Amino acid sequence: MLSSAEMAQSPLYAGFDLGTTNSAVAVFDGQHTQVIRNAAGGAVTPSVVRIDRAGRVTVGQRARRFLEDDPDNTATEWKRLMGTGKQVAFPAAGVARRPEELSAEILRALRTDVADQLGVAVERAVISVPALFELPQSAATSEAARLAGFARVELLQEPIASALAAGWRADDDGNASWLVYDLGGGTFDASLLETRDGLLRVVAHDGDNFLGGRDFDWAITEHLAAELARQTGVQLERKDPSHAGALRLLRLAAEDAKIELSRSATAQVTLARPLVVGDRELDVDLPLSRATVETLTAPLIERSLAVCQRLLASHGLGPGRLARVVLVGGPTLSPGLRALVQARLEATAAEGLDPMTLVAQGAALYAATAGLDGRAAPAAVPHGKKVWLQYPPVTADLTPHVVGRVVGADPPARLRFERADGGWQSPDAPIAADGGFVTMVSLVPRAASTFRLVATAADGSAVVVDPATITIVAGLTIADPPLSRTIGVALANDHVQAYFERGAPLPTRRSFTHTTVETIAAGNPDSVLRIPIVQGEFEQAHLCRLVGTLEVRGVDVKATVPTGATVEVTIELDRAGCLAARAHVPAIDQIFEQVAHLLVPDAAPAALDAALADQRKHLMAVRTDAFRHGLRELIDKLGAVEGLLATAERDIDAAHGGDADAGQKARRTLLEVDAILGDADLARSWPELDGEAHEAAISATGAVAAFGSDAERKLLDEVLAALAQARRARDLAELGRQLRLVRRLAAAAWNRNPDAWTYHLEDAASAIHEARDLPAARKLVDAGRAAVAAGDTDTVRRVVKQLWALLPVDAAERKKGFDSGVR
Amino acid sequence: MSDDDPFAVLGVAVTATTREIEREAQKLLGMLALGVGDVGTYLSAAGPRPRTPEAVRAAAAQLRDPRQRLLAELMAGAAPPPPAPPAPVAAPGWPDALRRAGWGPR
Repeated sequence: MLSSAEMAQSPLYAGFDLGTTNSAVAVFDGQHTQVIRNAAGGAVTPSVVRIDRAGRVTVGQRARRFLEDDPDNTATEWKRLMGTGKQVAFPAAGVARRPEELSAEILRALRTDVADQLGVAVERAVISVPALFELPQSAATSEAARLAGFARVELLQEPIASALAAGWRADDDGNASWLVYDLGGGTFDASLLETRDGLLRVVAHDGDNFLGGRDFDWAITEHLAAELARQTGVQLERKDPSHAGALRLLRLAAEDAKIELSRSATAQVTLARPLVVGDRELDVDLPLSRATVETLTAPLIERSLAVCQRLLASHGLGPGRLARVVLVGGPTLSPGLRALVQARLEATAAEGLDPMTLVAQGAALYAATAGLDGRAAPAAVPHGKKVWLQYPPVTADLTPHVVGRVVGADPPARLRFERADGGWQSPDAPIAADGGFVTMVSLVPRAASTFRLVATAADGSAVVVDPATITIVAGLTIADPPLSRTIGVALANDHVQAYFERGAPLPTRRSFTHTTVETIAAGNPDSVLRIPIVQGEFEQAHLCRLVGTLEVRGVDVKATVPTGATVEVTIELDRAGCLAARAHVPAIDQIFEQVAHLLVPDAAPAALDAALADQRKHLMAVRTDAFRHGLRELIDKLGAVEGLLATAERDIDAAHGGDADAGQKARRTLLEVDAILGDADLARSWPELDGEAHEAAISATGAVAAFGSDAERKLLDEVLAALAQARRARDLAELGRQLRLVRRLAAAAWNRNPDAWTYHLEDAASAIHEARDLPAARKLVDAGRAAVAAGDTDTVRRVVKQLWALLPVDAAERKKGFDSGVR
Repeated sequence: MSDDDPFAVLGVAVTATTREIEREAQKLLGMLALGVGDVGTYLSAAGPRPRTPEAVRAAAAQLRDPRQRLLAELMAGAAPPPPAPPAPVAAPGWPDALRRAGWGPR
C-alpha cells in the first residue's frame, strides 16, 4: 500500500470550461471526475462580470442578477469578442476591460471554488475552447489564464473534451463512430470521432462559430417583440440604441421561458416591471408554448443539422451509421431539439451525461492525458537522484513504455518499477552510462496504477531517486489533437503555400523557403516585407482568413535585401493551435519573429455596410450568369446566400445599435458568403477546370509511365480514380485537390527527366522581357545554356530557379494575397 | 501526403497493429525528448533521414487513418524507383489511365 506521503503526491487534474454564457470546473483524481460546485451550490457559474461604482468586481450568479438592473456595468457574452482587442466599458467605475481580463475574473472565481473545497490552489490546468476558434481567440484565452494566475495551461478543443468525458463512461471497447453535437451559448461544433482499440481519434470537425443558444434567445425575443408590437403598437428594434435596454430585459425573460419550456409545454413571459420605451411604459405578460419555440428555433436547428450532415457525407457516413451522438450545451436540454437531432441523424443520444458540465469533465480527463497535475510543483528539496521521466499519464495500452534519464554524474546501475498494490514488478532495467533507460510497466485495467521507482548501485546498495513514484491510468488514449483548419502563407500570386493541412497532429512545426518579390531597403521606414499567415481551406489566399503577418521592416534589417532573396519561414503550432512564426533571411543572417496583427479584424458598422453592398452586387452578377447558363445547382446554392445576407443585414443593424458581438457575427457571415460566391465563380469555370484536368491526366500519365517509379504509377492509379469520382460528382473542390496531386506526381516524375530543366530554362527564357532585371536575366539564360551544353543539370536547375525569382508578379493578385512580399 | 514512409519513421512492420504503432510512437517521443538511445535518425529508401518528434507524430497520425494507412502500405510494398528509362514522353505509357479518369472516346 502507499504511504501517506505517497498519497499526498497523488495528482489532481483540473479542467475548466470557459463558456459564452456559463462556465464550469471539474477535477479528476485518476479514478473519478468531480464537478466542483460554486459558493452558491451551482454546478455552473454564469459567465457574467460586474464592476460597481467603487470598482468592486462581482462574478457569476451574483453578477447575473444585475443584468436587469445595472446592465451598463454588467458584462456577459464577451467570449465572441476574445482576440478582437475591443474593450468592454464599465461607466460607473470609469474603467474598461479587455475580454481576456473578464475571462480571467471567471477563471479566478472557479479556481477559488476548487481551493475552497479541495484545499488545492490549481497551478496547472486545461481550458476548453471551441474547435473553430481562430488563433487570436486562442491566444487571448491563454492570456486570460495567465492573468488569472495559472502557471501553465493547455487549451483543448471542446468537442474533444466532450467525447473524452462521454468515452470515459462507455463500457464497451468496440470500434465505432460518434458525433459530438455541441451547441453552446455562442458557437456550434460538430465533431466526428472514432474509437478503435481504446484509441480515441477526432476524424474531422465542422461548425458554425456564430450559432448558439444566444441566437435561439434572439429568435424568441424577436417573436415576443412582434407580439408586444401587436398589443401596444410599439415596435422594439435592435438597430435603435434607445431600445437596447428594453430588448435586453425581454431577452433575459425569453431565456428563462426557454429553460422553463424544457420541462413544461407552456410558459408565461412576464416582467416584474414595465419596459420603458421613450415615454411609454409597456407591461409584458405574454404566453409562449413549447411548440412556438420549436417552430421559431427550427431553422437554427436545421442549420446545425446541415453542418452535421455535411460532415458525415464528407466522410462517407450515411444515415444510421453513427453508434452514438453526444449532446453538449444548455440548448440540448430541449426535448424537441434532442428528438429532432436523434431522428435526423438516425442515432441514439448517449444518456446519463450532463450536457452542462461534460466539457469541464472532459478537460479534467485530458489534463491527465497531458500529465498536467494541477498541484503546485513542490519546493525543490532534493530527495535523492533526480530522474526525468516520459510516460503516458493515461493510456489504453496496458503495458506502456517508461523512458527515463537519471540526471547528473554517477547514475545507479539498475532501476525497476514496483506496482503499489504488490501485484507486479518489472525486471531490473539497465541504466546506460549517460543515465538513460527504457522499460515497460504493467497496468491494472480501468484503474490508476502507482509504481515505486527502486534503483540500485552496481554494488547492490539502494539509491534514492526523485520522483519516488509515478501514476499511470489505464483508460482511453486520446490521439494528438488535430488542426481544425489548414494554415499556410499567402503568396504574392494570391495562392497559398500550405504549411499544415487540416487534421495535422499538434504540436507541429514546418519550414519552407520563399523568395522576396520586392527589395527591403535598409533604414527605410516605409519599406516592409509582409509574410501573411492565413487559415482556411481555399487555394486562393483572399478567401482564407488572415491570422497574422510576419513583418521584415526596412528599419530592422542590417543591409538592403534585394528582390529574389531567400527567406526561410518557420511556423510552429502548440497543442492548442497557438501560433509562433519566424523568418530567417540568410543574405543578412537575421531572424525576424514579430508576428503583427494577431487580432480578429475590426467589424465597424460602416465597413460592414459597404461589404454587404459589395456582396449583394456580386450575388446579382453571379445569379444573372447562372440563369443565363441554366446552372440549376448553382441557382439553388445562391438561394442560401440570400438568407445569409439577410442574417448579416439584421446583425449589422444590431451593430449600428451598439452590439459589437453582432458586428463580429456579421463579419463572419459575410466572409462565408464571400467564400460561397468565390466557389460559384469557380463553378462557372467548371468546363475550363475539367479541360485542365484532362490535360493534366494525359501529361501525368506520360511522365509517370516514362520516368516514374512503380509506387508512383500505383499512386497515380488511385489519384486518377479519385479524379474520376470528383468529375462524376461535379465536386469542384475535390477535383481541384486531386488535380493538385496529379500535377505533383507528374512534376516529381517529369523532373527526373534529364531534359526537364532544359525545357524549364527555355520556357523562362521566352519570358525574360518581363524580368525585373533584364541584364541579370540575360546573364542567367546564357549561364544556363552553357550548363546545358556542358551537361551540368544541377547548375541548370539552380539557374532556372533564379530566373523564376526575377519574373514579376501581378500587382492585382498580390493585393488580393494580403500584400504578400514572398512567393 | 507525406514524403516519409511512416512505417520506417516509427520503425515498425507494415503488419503492426494500432496498439503496437501507438506504443512505439510513445516510446520514440519519450526517447527523443530525453535524448535517450540512438533514435535520432532512421533509414529510408533514400538513405538516413532525421527522426524528429514532428515526423513521429505525423507518422502515427497517418497510420491511424485507415485510408492513409492503406496508401502507406501500398507505398511501403512498392520497389524503390528504378533508373529512368529513355522513353518518349508523348507516348501514353499507361493506356488505362484515361478510362480510369472517366474520359471515354470523344
